[in-house]
Amino acid sequence: MSNQHNTHFGFKAVNEADKATKVGEVFHSVASKYDLMNDVMSAGMHRGWKRFAVEISGVSEGDKVLDIAGGSGDLSKLFAKKVGDEGQVTLTDINSSMLGVGRDRMLNAGLNVPALQCDAEKLPFPDNYFDCVIVAFGLRNMTHKDLALAEMQRVLKVGGRLLVLEFSKVWQPLSKLYDVYSFKLLPFMGKILAKDSESYQYLAESIRMHPDQETLKKMMLDAGLSKVDYYNLSAGVVALHKGYKT
Amino acid sequence: MFKNIFTQLLQHLISQNSWAKAILQPFSGKSVQIKSGLMSASVVILENGSLAIAGETNVADAIVTIPPSLLIRLIAKDESAKMQISIDGDTYLASELAKVFANMHWDYEDDLSKIVGDIPANKIGSITREAVYSVKETSINLAEMLSEYWQEENPMIAKKRHVEEFNAQVDTIRADVARFEKKLAQYLNKYAKKHPKNSVLNNSFVDNSH
Repeated sequence: MSNQHNTHFGFKAVNEADKATKVGEVFHSVASKYDLMNDVMSAGMHRGWKRFAVEISGVSEGDKVLDIAGGSGDLSKLFAKKVGDEGQVTLTDINSSMLGVGRDRMLNAGLNVPALQCDAEKLPFPDNYFDCVIVAFGLRNMTHKDLALAEMQRVLKVGGRLLVLEFSKVWQPLSKLYDVYSFKLLPFMGKILAKDSESYQYLAESIRMHPDQETLKKMMLDAGLSKVDYYNLSAGVVALHKGYKT
Repeated sequence: MFKNIFTQLLQHLISQNSWAKAILQPFSGKSVQIKSGLMSASVVILENGSLAIAGETNVADAIVTIPPSLLIRLIAKDESAKMQISIDGDTYLASELAKVFANMHWDYEDDLSKIVGDIPANKIGSITREAVYSVKETSINLAEMLSEYWQEENPMIAKKRHVEEFNAQVDTIRADVARFEKKLAQYLNKYAKKHPKNSVLNNSFVDNSH
């Protein structure tokens, strides 16, 4: 019996073992211009989505927060202000280039945020440790989303909450326009601004392959979270899911 | 966009009224739906005692229904209007949230001071307060003047005393009629027992006795 299972990498089928490497290549390539591209691609809206996620998290002073796939660290920065000196924010990413950008940014901002390179499917933290775990625009790149969600649930304290901010299924009347934007304009902007149209083609394809709002809600419930609810942001371009460990 | 702005507004108000956090925190994770006519909004209590708009698939723990006709009375702080609000589900949660909303105060001078500075904000605040007070006083005076005119000079509306007297008379008549009906039913029952053959009357007596 072979354990060579396939998974998707954008619209392509690839071996599961190769997906992490391929995703890694994409993010090594875009790391230095990741924030600039995010601003251009979302017209700055990604900052509003992230702020909304922080507001909905219910995090207060003294809480422990885990930022998974935190990359350039903008969420960690917002959470660091919320938890204060008594709390703790941990920034993680599987990609060393992205994590390097985030770590430097935390240091430059004078924030004491530990940065750890680790796989979200095998988190190096004890059970019941964090008050809040967040993954923003990272879950769709994970090979085994179910395993990653189960790990996030494991490290949460009872009463803790998991927030997943991710691209989702857009409101139907806008879908045609959104397709044109994703598959024509996005790779073009990637070519002009980051000199890398392929990586941005992957980003657009990976968004389409990601589970829609209801499917992700079910996946979170299957991972052992409860009272899962979601918010559609910008007509469903992005959805914020929130679930509790009980 | 709307969710984001409304949530920010709620959280800003809660941060200005930090006493509310201690009241709300024990209910964290719970939500209340407020309905009035076609409008409906759900509010969820967060773990830090703050408030946010609830998500798309939220199931409310309490539902507060306010008839649209009651809204103006509630804004005017009419205590009797509160009795007509209906609450389903967790009534304790809904009443605590209502208490928070009723006592919440927007410190607009503080917000304004961050834009224009302390002294201009204070000036604008006092001018606004005076203007609001003046409009309120003028409205009350105008309403009193019109009601006096329509009651005394050109009677179109009844005086409160007359309405109360009329209501008392109606209540007396209602009680008298009820007493009379009971008495009549007793007499008719007695008659039916004495004359059992008269079945038509007998049936109608029984009906009347109810």
